[in-house]
Amino acid sequence: MLIAAALCPAPPLLACELTGAEPVLPELRQACREAVDELVHADPEMVAVVGAAPETRTWDPRARLDLTAYAPALAGLGRSVPGTDRDAGNAGVPGPPEHTATESLRGLPLPVGLGSRLLDDAGYGGERRLQSVGADTPPVECAALGSRLAAAAPRTALLVMADGSARRSRRAPGYLDPRAGPFDAQVARAIRDGDMTALLALDAGLAAELLATGRPAWQVLAGAMTGHRPSCQVRYDDDPFGVAYLVASLAVG
Amino acid sequence: MSDGVPSLLARPDRGVLRLGKHVFPAGQPLIMAIVNRTPDSFFQPGVTWAESAALDRVHQAIGDGADIIDVGGIPAAPGADVDVDEEIRRTAGFIAAVRSSYPDVVISVDTWRHETARAACESGADLLNDSWGGYDERLAEVAAEFGAGLVCAHVGRQRPRTRPFRVGYADVMADVLVRTLALASQALQAGVQPDRIVLDPAHDFGKNTWHSLEVTRRLDELTETGWPVLVSLSNKDFVGESLDLPPEHRLAGTLAATAVCAWHGARIFRVHQVPESRQVVDMVATIRGDRPPTRAVRGLA
Repeated sequence: MLIAAALCPAPPLLACELTGAEPVLPELRQACREAVDELVHADPEMVAVVGAAPETRTWDPRARLDLTAYAPALAGLGRSVPGTDRDAGNAGVPGPPEHTATESLRGLPLPVGLGSRLLDDAGYGGERRLQSVGADTPPVECAALGSRLAAAAPRTALLVMADGSARRSRRAPGYLDPRAGPFDAQVARAIRDGDMTALLALDAGLAAELLATGRPAWQVLAGAMTGHRPSCQVRYDDDPFGVAYLVASLAVG
Repeated sequence: MSDGVPSLLARPDRGVLRLGKHVFPAGQPLIMAIVNRTPDSFFQPGVTWAESAALDRVHQAIGDGADIIDVGGIPAAPGADVDVDEEIRRTAGFIAAVRSSYPDVVISVDTWRHETARAACESGADLLNDSWGGYDERLAEVAAEFGAGLVCAHVGRQRPRTRPFRVGYADVMADVLVRTLALASQALQAGVQPDRIVLDPAHDFGKNTWHSLEVTRRLDELTETGWPVLVSLSNKDFVGESLDLPPEHRLAGTLAATAVCAWHGARIFRVHQVPESRQVVDMVATIRGDRPPTRAVRGLA
């Protein structure tokens, strides 16, 4: 039974180790922290982290994101790099033990890994399920996965790691597509209004063309919310680097 | 290697450098801005001969990111004699003026004479930049007495203000190691604090261009001793001869040599052009991983 959900984007720049000495988008990071804090404070028995990836599968909950794919210099430095803004905080946050660099714990997809980090940062030590959903999964299958996740524990919370279009401007990673703005506005409106039917109706083909990688994860959320019309607080809605980022807290009322 | 080298290799507090009130960790490159109180230095002669011009230069250099101000009253090249009194007249009062404007900036004095060093320390200098390799043995005593730092430079067998004349070395880098470490050992015995001792291979001093190029190429052998290394490359003849360019056109060559020395782990860079040098050493420190990028978002959104 789903009790709450949090929605966060999944850009690598959420990881402070990757962005250098000066803080990058502190307001986005703060919004994510607050959304996940609220989720954890809803006292769930299990938190499922959901994000898009090449395939649908669960991951070892002890696995953590390997940032060396994005910054090879991090190899061997652990979680903190001298001089980066990560340095100040998060002392004592349980990171992966030394011996976890085994085959079974490698390859955690970026959105799932970033979500798991957010749970770590919020001090969440309860049961967690790391669930990726294949990028090409049809909406109906996404919704069915959401229903199963919601039913997996009496008090389930969902941390949905999903990005809007990466084609929001000429400087965006995918260059400008004029359809991106209306598409993302439609998603934001559906979240804001708790209109899960509208999320399920999103066109997978269009989302793929717009590099809106969060589409399957949104539809997992919609499936998990089936029968509910959640109340929603949007904490961040912007596209500072041409990718649409949406942070929200959803409560099942 | 001379006696005493092994104990030096095991020096404690490896990599930490103290200058004045500052503690600089290993991996933080420092820019030393040259301020010549001379009418006849080789690069832009006389440009800071007037005290007001020299003070303007200090303000500009600090604004551009210099960590150390190096004040000198005598050109390295042979020329008109500058006696002790004149050298002190050129440097000590000016050092006091800089200290008055900048209570915390590291000030060094470029001199080989202990009398000048004493006057400079009394005026607020933190570092004795002895470009002539311990010619005056009492210099280390002054550093010890004032708690100042000391640069131990390799000049082969040169006396102050002389040019190399058919100098040869069996292995110039080995000679650099032996002589600079021996000077460091003498400095320790004189009571200079170990974390205030700096080694300088002294490009062009007692060296032809081939020697300076070899020292540049093999600078890691000096940095691997664990002692902080200063390099003074700025617009020097080994750059000019390498590229066939006069002093006013040696910036790019200087910066290339700077990048190589920074890559090898040099800590202090004595320079004429501060902003360009600051960018180069910071960029190399970032490539080495000693310093993070200021802000990285490309491809990470």
